[in-house]
Amino acid sequence: MSRQLLTQDTSVSDVVADHQTLRKPKRRNIGLAFIAPFSVLFLFVFIVPIGYSAYISLFQNKLIGGKVFIWFDNYIKLFQDSQFYDGVIRVVLFTAIQVPIMLFSAIALALAIDSLRLHGSRFFRIIVFLPYAIPAIVSTLMWGFMLGIRYGLIGSLNKAAGTDFNPFAPETTMVSIGVMVTWGFTGYNMLIFYAALRAVPRELYEAAAIDGASEFQIVRHIKLPALRSSLIVTIIFSIIGTFQLFNEPNILTTLVSNSGITSYYTPNMYAYSLAFTGSQQGYAAALALVMAVFTIAIAYAVQIKGMKNAFNK
Amino acid sequence: MGDHDCAGDSWSQNIDTKEYAMPKKRLRAAAAIAASVVALAGCSNGGGSTSTNTEVPTDKPITLTVWSWDGTVKEAVAGFEKLHPNITVNVVNAGSSTDEYTALDNAIQAGSGVPDIAMFEYFSLPLFAIPGKLTDLSEFGAKDLASDYVEAAWGNVTIDGKPYGLPSDYGPAAMFYNQSVLAQAGVTAPPATWDEFYQAAKKVRALGGDHYITNDSADIFVLMSLMWEGGGRPFKVDGTNVTIDFKDPGSSRAVAFWQKLLDEDLVNTKITNWSDDWNRGLNEGTLATQLIGGWFTSTLPERAPNAAGNFRVAPLPQWEAGQTSGAENGGSAMAIPAAAQNKAAAYAFLKYFTHGDGLQSRIDAGAFVPNLSNLNNEKFLSTTNPFFGDQKYNQVLADASKNVATGWQYPPFFGWARTSYEDVSAPLYDSRQGTLAEVLETWKQRSIAYGNEQGFSVR
Repeated sequence: MSRQLLTQDTSVSDVVADHQTLRKPKRRNIGLAFIAPFSVLFLFVFIVPIGYSAYISLFQNKLIGGKVFIWFDNYIKLFQDSQFYDGVIRVVLFTAIQVPIMLFSAIALALAIDSLRLHGSRFFRIIVFLPYAIPAIVSTLMWGFMLGIRYGLIGSLNKAAGTDFNPFAPETTMVSIGVMVTWGFTGYNMLIFYAALRAVPRELYEAAAIDGASEFQIVRHIKLPALRSSLIVTIIFSIIGTFQLFNEPNILTTLVSNSGITSYYTPNMYAYSLAFTGSQQGYAAALALVMAVFTIAIAYAVQIKGMKNAFNK
Repeated sequence: MGDHDCAGDSWSQNIDTKEYAMPKKRLRAAAAIAASVVALAGCSNGGGSTSTNTEVPTDKPITLTVWSWDGTVKEAVAGFEKLHPNITVNVVNAGSSTDEYTALDNAIQAGSGVPDIAMFEYFSLPLFAIPGKLTDLSEFGAKDLASDYVEAAWGNVTIDGKPYGLPSDYGPAAMFYNQSVLAQAGVTAPPATWDEFYQAAKKVRALGGDHYITNDSADIFVLMSLMWEGGGRPFKVDGTNVTIDFKDPGSSRAVAFWQKLLDEDLVNTKITNWSDDWNRGLNEGTLATQLIGGWFTSTLPERAPNAAGNFRVAPLPQWEAGQTSGAENGGSAMAIPAAAQNKAAAYAFLKYFTHGDGLQSRIDAGAFVPNLSNLNNEKFLSTTNPFFGDQKYNQVLADASKNVATGWQYPPFFGWARTSYEDVSAPLYDSRQGTLAEVLETWKQRSIAYGNEQGFSVR
């Protein structure tokens, strides 16, 4: 098969080369015309907003005195801002704990559905996926009412058991948010894993069975290796998602008191409150850019690491 | 400038006369006519080219845009448009509070889309007035209206002696109390002093369970109304110079008192205002009182339908028996941005719905305004509602409005400071770390840092 492809490739490139030698300038223009719609969109949708953020991050917008160009002062201030670190450390810890739990559950569920030993697996699949279709705002309200200690489910359990457990105390709020996020995104990740498993040719399992492999061995040597590339993708998505934590804590502040959620609880919340209550748009832009670089760096590191392992295998 | 003749003033005279044509208002009608005469006299000087044209054009079509999250403003539009066929008024809700201020600031920076009139909470007016983003209404003769309002309300819109807006609604701090819960606890009369309030708090707490006299989840407005009423003036603003000090006698007394309530677990710190828990607490009577603005009359009935007939309104308890001091909790003004296009027409409408003939339609729609004409209006004062046991609650709130102590100032960056207070007070309210006095000290330090960074001189 690869041989066929190779020959096809050469013939195509030969033809292209012929044409290029004949009508070089015009072809180039046509090429530009073809990429123009994309380039324009790319420029305005991706490059310009980032460039503009970088631009305003060099200014301070004072209530008295207006806009002042301050070079990199916003960045210098940011790296000395304990509130910023407070939020960053919180989301990093959250990511380190919540993402593995969520992805592990998602893999387990995907394997269970893929095992073909489950009754009603289609129904099960939809039920697990359903929370993903519920907007974060609605799900936060729902969980807020459910975990609330005064009138919620936990309140009733506390009353029945005589305990005093509060899911929204400053020490436990992050765990509760972790539960909400896990609930919302496990199904989504499960679907990605399930799709990867479905792509494994069934013959492989038959061959393994004929060779006398147990179900556990099939999982370990065929199914898990097949999940590797989708695992990298889901890890990257999850890191990006959790670093941008905003909706859940932001809504909880209006729902429960004394939850320990401050205006700088997560970097996103901090950027929001800087821009909208402190009118420090420049500082917020600097924060946003630093967080973007930080997120990209971590996602990239995960990708490099994942790829390296894949090749070593 | 000066390209219109003085004809426009004749209608303003009409308005002024009509406005006070009600009985008992003769004296002020005379004053208003006198004021118009002054205005006419001023006009004959030929309107200097440096000041804004204060006459409303009658010959060209004008569209006014009003940003307001107060739903009653639109009630006044039809009447105004009838008086001014060439003017169309669009009332837009551009978001509440911070959302609107952000939008307004963006519009001012962009130099387009600036509304002709915008709504401001009293504490946010200095934020726009001090940097020169609002129109000084002195040039339209707004100063003459001062005596028509509760003194403290006029104080709210006056910065460095200049009026930058007209008061449009008012929130005198009051005590809403659940009569039957207090009676159950053995409190027969609503606490009239803070000492009585403290005693009542202990009795309510003795009912057991979740019964508390009130809730407080780091609501700075409650603490400030205690300071305000007792003569504390923690913020002093003079132009861009701001001083913050919570150590004056009135402020420290309020802080010490509230600390005592917190220490003795007499206030429910687990319930935040506007939450579902709050509604339930009010509904089932586990929250016996609320120290809150008079505007609470409009929302309490729907929040606590089960408590119908039990709630009453009383003045804020006093520091000394027999005193009649008061404070504010909320309220807002309407102002004209400096970048507005049709200032004269804007002022005409502004005055119409906050002071003139349009006011009544807003009052009928539920607005609580600090205009003395309304606070002395028998019909308004005798309003009753079965929810409040047919009490004449407006009488209580009108008295509370007139008793509001004057001289309170908000720092220009109060909108930011308010969010910051929630952050710094979180450890105290969440897990009882530190004291209220320490929280205020941290808050002060953060406000000083922020204020100076923003170009103010804060100490």
